[in-house]
Amino acid sequence: MNTARDLPVVDGLRLSADLRALLRPDEPVSDRAGRIHRLPRFFYEVRSWSQAKELLLTPHLRLSELLIVDSREHPRLLEDFPHYVPCAITLLARVLEDFRARVGASVYIAANGGYRSPSHRLSTVAGPHNWASAADVYRVGDTFLNSASTIEKYAGIVRDLAPEITALPYGHLPGESDDHLHLDLGYLHLIPASCDESLPA
Amino acid sequence: MPEPSPKAGFSLLDHVLNLGRQAQAAALSFAFYDYSSDLSFSYQATRVFHAASTIKLAILLALFRAAELGRVKLTDRLHVRNRFRSQADGSPFSLQSDRDGDPDLYRSVGRTASLQSLAETMIVRSSNLATNLLLDYLEVQFVAECLQSAGLSSLRCVRGVEDEAAFAKGLNNQITGEGLLTFFRRVHEAAILTSESRDRMFDILFQQRFNSMIPAGVPDAARARVAHKTGEISTVCHDAGMIFLPGRAPYVLVILTEYAAAGSAAARHKLVAAVSAAAYAFIGSLPPPLPTV
Repeated sequence: MNTARDLPVVDGLRLSADLRALLRPDEPVSDRAGRIHRLPRFFYEVRSWSQAKELLLTPHLRLSELLIVDSREHPRLLEDFPHYVPCAITLLARVLEDFRARVGASVYIAANGGYRSPSHRLSTVAGPHNWASAADVYRVGDTFLNSASTIEKYAGIVRDLAPEITALPYGHLPGESDDHLHLDLGYLHLIPASCDESLPA
Repeated sequence: MPEPSPKAGFSLLDHVLNLGRQAQAAALSFAFYDYSSDLSFSYQATRVFHAASTIKLAILLALFRAAELGRVKLTDRLHVRNRFRSQADGSPFSLQSDRDGDPDLYRSVGRTASLQSLAETMIVRSSNLATNLLLDYLEVQFVAECLQSAGLSSLRCVRGVEDEAAFAKGLNNQITGEGLLTFFRRVHEAAILTSESRDRMFDILFQQRFNSMIPAGVPDAARARVAHKTGEISTVCHDAGMIFLPGRAPYVLVILTEYAAAGSAAARHKLVAAVSAAAYAFIGSLPPPLPTV
């Protein structure tokens, strides 16, 4: 099993009650500006950490790189498997692969900088990390992105990749970043064709 | 219990004060307690000093307390991030690796490290980055509450390291000789942590890499083990810890010094080492404890 194609897709609304309480599938939540979005409903099921480390989402990006969180994540979601990750993660991985190709260097994702569940302590308001459609890049090649010049340089490259990709500007305020490059695809839902969106009885 | 020797105690204090004068220290605090003789004495032990890196002891205590309360596990992992918010105004700041006792941890920025390894790095190598990461995670309020509930109110932890905005507003971590002496006594006596936590905490303190002060005053031949933490900034130079000698109960020693201006670190270390040597000599002058029946 080496690609996301082999991962089972599950309907979050059919998960156990404790997991639904933590992942909150399809629930409306509000972002920093007060806009309402619905959390992802369909997830890939990841059976073990070794599976995440072996599975290549793209030629250069392993699933595990987008799943590393620290102890701010809820213990159930941090320590117990299976893990559940929104299906949009495959599209995020493709953006990161494109970015890697454009800069010609390895791209490093920070801990807590890929998918974060709505129960993660950093998820005080909803954001694309909860959709697995955002990544915090802290290093490109040997360059750490912790200054206005490095962040703006690579943010410009990200914005040139496609119009639907957002890269936050350098700065210290909410909606800016000063020690990494945040890029995202917005509140992206990816629903594989095999999924049934009817509500469970 | 042997009869303490007041004459020897006064002589030790006289010697310590002379050393301080010779080294041109603007202030010197000395606190001592010997478990073997139950003898304690101090000088300027309630004077408040800038804590410098000795405040890391308070954070270490809070970490073990948090583990005992089930708030954290020492195996928990934290994102290593060199970005913090000032306790004064929330403004962001970061640390400079070339001003840190341990530049190695900066190579882990972006990745994760366990609380246990951060605690070790904070104490053994005096890592400022590990300190701020732990304090940020535990939260200043929790550390303050731990100190308060442990009866250590003269130890004041209000901010992380190199929080310049807080410094500008006079918000500084503070200690007293008495406070650090009480800290070591209460930890050693398992009064504020379990004996298991105490042992794990001392295991970390025994690994201290900065040994040019209190340990330097104890002869190698003494085969001592010293659990201690140093603290230095431009105008202060401290060391505090417990000295375990074979065949006798340990003693606690706290030496805090302050200077009018920045100066030679080596000379300051020499003063603290000389005071430690005087304390060791004093210990040797005490009569041996009577056997217990």
